[in-house]
Amino acid sequence: MRDRENILTYMARRMNLGKIIWLLTLTFFLVGVLFPFYWMVSSSFKTQREIAGRHPVYVPHALRLEAYKELFDPSAPHFQDFGRNIVNSIKVSVPTALIAVILSVLGAYAIARLRFKGKELMLNGVLAVYLIPGVLLIIPLFAMLAKIGDAVGFEVQDNLGVLVVTYLAQTLPVALYMLTNYFRTIPDEIEQAALIDGCNRLEVIWRVTLPLSIPAIVSVFVYTFMIAWNEFLYAFVFLNSRQMFTMPIKIQAIFSDPSPRPHVVMAASTIMTVPVVLLFLVLERFLEEGLTAGGVKG
Amino acid sequence: MSVVSRWRSLRAQEARLGWALLAPTLIIVFGLVIFPAFFSIWISFHAVGLHNLNDVFHAPFNGLENYKRVVTDFAFKYHSIQNMGAALTSIVYSFSATLLALIGGLVAALLLNKPFRGRGLVRATFLFSYVAPIVSVAFVWRWILDPRPSGVMNDLLMRLGVIHAPMAYLSQRGLALIVVILLDAWRYFPFAMLMILARLQAIDKSLYEAAEVDGANVWERFRYITIPELRFVLGAVFLLRLIWTFNKFDDIFLLTGGGFGTKVLPILVYEFSFRLRDFGRGAAAAMILVAFLVVFIAVYLRFVMRSEEEA
Repeated sequence: MRDRENILTYMARRMNLGKIIWLLTLTFFLVGVLFPFYWMVSSSFKTQREIAGRHPVYVPHALRLEAYKELFDPSAPHFQDFGRNIVNSIKVSVPTALIAVILSVLGAYAIARLRFKGKELMLNGVLAVYLIPGVLLIIPLFAMLAKIGDAVGFEVQDNLGVLVVTYLAQTLPVALYMLTNYFRTIPDEIEQAALIDGCNRLEVIWRVTLPLSIPAIVSVFVYTFMIAWNEFLYAFVFLNSRQMFTMPIKIQAIFSDPSPRPHVVMAASTIMTVPVVLLFLVLERFLEEGLTAGGVKG
Repeated sequence: MSVVSRWRSLRAQEARLGWALLAPTLIIVFGLVIFPAFFSIWISFHAVGLHNLNDVFHAPFNGLENYKRVVTDFAFKYHSIQNMGAALTSIVYSFSATLLALIGGLVAALLLNKPFRGRGLVRATFLFSYVAPIVSVAFVWRWILDPRPSGVMNDLLMRLGVIHAPMAYLSQRGLALIVVILLDAWRYFPFAMLMILARLQAIDKSLYEAAEVDGANVWERFRYITIPELRFVLGAVFLLRLIWTFNKFDDIFLLTGGGFGTKVLPILVYEFSFRLRDFGRGAAAAMILVAFLVVFIAVYLRFVMRSEEEA
């Protein structure tokens, strides 16, 4: 008891009430945010026995790879062939991000630098995409793409290219908006000088504007990549065959398996989440500016 | 050639280049967002099912039939406070989740407003729940909230003596909606935090100094300086988040599948379209969703934002 009083009086001496409240609230937020992530990663190293026990296991006894084996090891029972799903996710997100960067650099340059009528209207009109619910678009998209696919000769279902195009439509407005705002902060004089030196417009973009906009371009790339990487609804509707599933759909499929194996779901979730969170931490300074400037839809 | 006409042709050339550079983006966005949006209005007035999806342009017109069948659908209508129907559930869900996320974001931003060691790291950590993929986040929470006694939440709350028997957080009417709202606030408070923090950092410090000289206490400084300075950003974030939450499908679909009193309009649209394969009715439900949105935005801009300008 005496010890406790000592600590309390010590604390009272060191801090005032405001500081204690601040510290408690901070702890509450940190624990609240981090605990689910701890639970995801730690559960992925548990065994079936630890998962199915009478009480939750807060710290796994050892780093068991049972769950990861089920995902990757062809000899494991219930082998999931998750490697294929990782490849599918990469096949969708990298092209989405690359094409979004290229197209939005061109468009944003036009809006920020060239004088022509209607550009502000276009910028704002394109932003209206923000307000349109995804579930509304999926019905007409499905019907339209089926029709076009019939005519041109491609499948709508199980076609990763269709996903790339629909993700582009969802991400280009953000990308365009973020980059336009950024280009407007680059002084026009530098480009004018290059133009006078005899560069044409595309050379100016390539040699002057792009090198100066690396931070903005990196954020646009990472954002569009993350949106494509995380996307659920469109992939869920457009993909039917397990071979073509991206990670989110595959994880949903493992979760819905009649014999529940949460540790496998957590292992797959860990694999999907860790790269995104790491990428975010590394590039955090660039990205936060983008978040507040563009207001990424989420 | 006169100087004027040469200048004109240069302007025209610049305009042509501008449209050319913008064209790919415009074509994709118009082709895959703007046109389908209008097309779905058309679909909502026609009988479109799986059988005629490939020949959708010849689908028979059926007037307001789709809308009638949405509005009178059991899942849409209000029955009782226990069974609110998708329309009211959507409103309750999106308003409370948005408000909670905004309050959480405000508290978090205030926590991080003064410099301290490790502030950058804490701020980045707070953003985890927002940047992590929704699928992993939803399934971790489902696992934490597992209804068996071995679920973490049940285990913790029973050890603490808060509850005596395990609870089914996500599969009990009423409770499920509350839990889904709380989880949404957990996921989206970082967005509000970032916006509010950026504004907080821009408040002129001399305002606080002057207030302190005048003898204002912490609460008064918050009430009479911070809140008025944040007014605009709070209003804007609220509207933006409200729209996005109202449109949200993934979160609830992954957490409860839309069951146990959490069926919101986007889930209903999905079910009409892809479970019942009645695309006309799905489109009509989506249009009703948009109509709600338009009303929110109009009311908000007319009354809330205007009164803020006057204040």
